[in-house]
Amino acid sequence: MRTLFEKYPKEKRYTLSILQDLQKQYGYIPKDKLIELSQYMGIPLSRLYSMATFYKALSLKPKGKYIIKVCDGTACHIRSSKTILDEIENTLGIKPGETTDDGKFSLETVNCLGSCAIAPVMVINNKYYGKLTSSMVREILKEYGGADDE
Amino acid sequence: MKIIIDNIECEAQKDETLLQIARRNDIHIPTLCHNDALPGLGSCRLCVVEIVDKGRRSVVASCIYPVRNEIEVYTCSDKIKNIRRNLLMLLRGRVPNDETIKKLCKEYLVPDRIKFSGDKDEHCILCGLCVKACQELGASAISTVNRGITKKVTTPYDEPSAQCIGCGSCAYVCPTDAIKIEEKDGIRNIWNKEFQLLRCTRCGKPFATKEQLEYNREKLGEAHVKLLCESCKKAIIAEKLKDIYEKV
Repeated sequence: MRTLFEKYPKEKRYTLSILQDLQKQYGYIPKDKLIELSQYMGIPLSRLYSMATFYKALSLKPKGKYIIKVCDGTACHIRSSKTILDEIENTLGIKPGETTDDGKFSLETVNCLGSCAIAPVMVINNKYYGKLTSSMVREILKEYGGADDE
Repeated sequence: MKIIIDNIECEAQKDETLLQIARRNDIHIPTLCHNDALPGLGSCRLCVVEIVDKGRRSVVASCIYPVRNEIEVYTCSDKIKNIRRNLLMLLRGRVPNDETIKKLCKEYLVPDRIKFSGDKDEHCILCGLCVKACQELGASAISTVNRGITKKVTTPYDEPSAQCIGCGSCAYVCPTDAIKIEEKDGIRNIWNKEFQLLRCTRCGKPFATKEQLEYNREKLGEAHVKLLCESCKKAIIAEKLKDIYEKV
């Protein structure tokens, strides 16, 4: 995957961009790629590992095909985002930060999606769903093939 | 130029840190994340002092504050003591059973009332001095991982690091002795990695790892690195000095 790195000049300041590209390409940051990047950039592996574990947008574990981001910011929180999370947990059997065994869904909480007017909000692979209720969540998950195996 | 620390006049060079000047003049400022061999980190904040610069008062971290003007410094005013007390209360919350922090808590009269209490076995205050030492040494085997309440110091993937030379500098600089280093039957174990220890050619004490010696040889050249432990090195220098003086 040298080409992925070579898109950027070999300078320290592009490290995060490369890590983001790796995240996009693989859905997570594979260990061998992190080691390769360390050798390519001449940056200690410990530093890269530090970055990769610091940012929420980067993951060291493979993510599901569909990434569900449930907003738990102030507005969504008071409009009971907890109910939404509980509904997803009941349907898919995963908690925030986890991925289903079939690799289909990952669940994350985020702190604000910038659409408080339609709280509570969740996003599945960049598609927004607002003014959610438990039954709506069940329907939406069904569309993605998440609920029928229950 | 001259600065005044706790009403004592001290000679200072431009861009020297306040801590350096104070220590040279035997004025005590407590620190945790500081080691004279390393640049200041300013992470533990225990070294805070009050300064008066052209009539303006402010609180600064003395380990990273470079002197530019002829200022007045107060290292243990009531305000400073209060700040240190709060810092120590939080640190004690993180490492409830650490002796270094307990001692400082006593010194600064931190009330016994416990507001927060973390893991009983935790000793790391996350000051980052070990990471800095490892980095300055050139190995960069450890770093801070994760963030917030899950932040910790470790090797990548918690695995034995290929970069670690087992020198133990991290454990040496740690203010709270939080880094485990075990030595048994000539084997040193640190950061989940085992190292064969080499023996001092003079006294026979196992003292350094093979990787450490190789690293030093590569850096300093074969001739400068001898297999001698610290105390033997000192003894040899002392003998040499003795010879010189006897000749004089």
